[in-house]
This record gives sequence, structure tokens and C-alpha cells, in this order.
Amino acid sequence: MNPIEAEKPTYVYGLVKADTIVPDGLTGLGPSGQVSTIAHGRVAAIVSDVPIDRPLGVRGDLVAHESVLDTVAAQMAVVPMRFPAVVEEHAVVDELLAPNEDHFVALLDDLEGRAQFTLTGRYEQDAVLREVLQGDEEIRALHEKVRDLPEDAAYYDRVRLGELIVRALEQRREGEGADIIDRLEPFAVAVVTNQLAAPEDVVNVAFLVDRERQEEFENAVEDVGKDLVGRVRLRLLGPVAPYDFIPEE
Amino acid sequence: MSVATQRGGGGGGGYVDRAPGGGSSSLADVVELILDKGLVIDIFVRVSLVGIEILTIDARVVVASVDTYLRFAEATNRLDLYEKGGKDLPGLVQGITEGGAKGKTSGVLEAAAEKVNDMLASNREQQEVRRRPVRQRARENEE
Repeated sequence: MNPIEAEKPTYVYGLVKADTIVPDGLTGLGPSGQVSTIAHGRVAAIVSDVPIDRPLGVRGDLVAHESVLDTVAAQMAVVPMRFPAVVEEHAVVDELLAPNEDHFVALLDDLEGRAQFTLTGRYEQDAVLREVLQGDEEIRALHEKVRDLPEDAAYYDRVRLGELIVRALEQRREGEGADIIDRLEPFAVAVVTNQLAAPEDVVNVAFLVDRERQEEFENAVEDVGKDLVGRVRLRLLGPVAPYDFIPEE
Repeated sequence: MSVATQRGGGGGGGYVDRAPGGGSSSLADVVELILDKGLVIDIFVRVSLVGIEILTIDARVVVASVDTYLRFAEATNRLDLYEKGGKDLPGLVQGITEGGAKGKTSGVLEAAAEKVNDMLASNREQQEVRRRPVRQRARENEE
């Protein structure tokens, strides 16, 4: 017999309290497209079947994982699993829920009534480049030199110019990112800062917010966005599952 | 797609782009949100026993490269073009050229016009390939 059929692999999206009812209309990443729960004691795992004719981890799998979790998170506390979480069906209870029930209940209690919001900020390129040019003599001088030379002749100067600009942006964002976080931290239960990817990124930070204070938090983000308009473009993602607030095991 | 509120419009102030979770996010959002995050239990490490192949998804590696530097150098140069050009670059160039040899400033202006022309020419090839957003922005500026 095929070992896959024997074991029946099961995908686990996350964990909820056993007495909650997960929303209808969730679409799983398995061939059936269905999502269900397996409960044990006070906790339940949100699960689905798994595609067995292809490797797991394509675009649709990632999106399904996020979509299921965030749809659930919009309504109740959920502990997201790290993608990709596959186990044999029997192991969901035997090895996941039963041995860890108390621990999972504690995690869910902590997250009750809370949701994550991820805020990213990005410099408006032209505005901040003008500031950098105005504020740094070396950059301005190099820029004027490069401007007057043919592109290939000025190659190394242009690399150097870009490098100085990137440094200037990185320096600038350190303070500005911290200011943004300082203004919003009072509205959150917990804050996790993420690594920035591009030089024009100013901030990437996750806030765990009490639902009761969600509107207050959102208004505060709007205020920050208003103050930064034209210089930094803010983007608020959420409410989403508390991906950044699950303690490392 | 993900834009629920555009800045400057709509209710709730609209100074911040909003994206609710739950299937309305872009793939980039999703990857950034979920990759390497969430609860890890050691039984998941035994995935291979179940016979499922897992694709490796690498988180973005952040290295400021020469390409990045050149991108910013070019962006700075472009900034200059806008400031000199004001509204419509080709129009400006033409206007200056037609302005011709009258007056004592004409030499300078012609030199400037040539320079702008050079820059336009040297940038054009790259613009075709990867400057579409820039050109769109230039067009918006003209309006």
C-alpha cells in the first residue's frame, strides 16, 4: 500500500479554542478545498487535506494558509502554525493537541480579544532624495559631478553616489522609524519590529492590539500618516493572525 | 488586490493605505507576513515521513548591491531633470532650441538643451525596459 494513503497527511493551519465555531467558507490548500477542525479537550486544530501529487509551497498554498488564518483571526483568537505544517491525521490529536493542551490554552488565553496589525512605511522617493541632496555636501558635490559626465565615464562615481544615498537613507530611517513606533506603542499590547528589506523602507513593525482599542490604534496610525504625508507612505495590514507574537518553542 | 483606501480620499482619513487580512492581500504581503513565523512543533519536522515534498521558500536576503546603488544614483539624476524641466521635457528642449541665437544667454541655454537631450537619449533604452512607472509618473507631472 502507498504509505501516503496509509498515513493520510493532514495540513494544520492553526489552533483555536475548542468551544469556538470557525467561520464558514474557508478554502483549504488540499484537493477537496475544504477546511475543518479536529478538537481535543479545550483546543482544536484547523485542518485540511494536502495535495499529494505535487510539492507543497506554491503560491496558492501560501495564500491559502494566510487566508484561512486571517479570516479566522478576524473573529477569534488563533495560534498560527508556521508554514508548512503537515502531520499524519492521527498525530493531530495524539502528538499535537493532547500533549500540549495546557500550553495551547495558555497561548490562546493571551491572544483572546487581540489581533495583529503590521505597519510598513516607505519613503516617497523624490521628496526624501531632495532632502538628502540638500542635507549632505559630499552627496551634492558628487551628484553634480556625475550629472555632468557621460554615463559610462561616471560609473564608479555613480556607484559611490548611490552608496552614499543608501547610507543616508538608512541613517535617516533609524530615527524616523523609531519615532513612528514610539507614537503607536501606547496603543498596543506588544510590538515586534521586523527587518527592513529595501533602503527606502522606513519601518516594518507588528503591533498586537486589543480589539477594544483597535479604533483608537487605527486613528493614531492615521494621525502619523497625516503628519508624514508626502514624505513617508504608510501601509497598515490587518487585522491578521498574530504571526509575530507566537513565542519560539 | 490590497488597496482598500486610497490616501486623500474616502472615509477614515485616508492618509494610510489599508489592507485587511484574509485573502485580500498580495503575495508579497503574504510571504512577508507568514514566512518563518508561527508556532513550530517538532512533529512537523517529521514531514518527510508523511511523504510530502516541501518546496523551499527562501526569505529575501537583504544585501545592498551595486544595482541598488545605481538605482538611487539614477533616481537622483531624474530628480534633477524634473526640477529643470518643470512641465514637459521634450517641449522644453524644443522651445530652448527654437529660441535660437538671440540674446546673450543663448549659448548657455543651448548647452543645457544639448545636455538634456543627451541624458534623455542615454536613458531611453533603459527606460523602455524598466522605467515604466517612472514614465507614468512623468506623464502625471505634466498634467
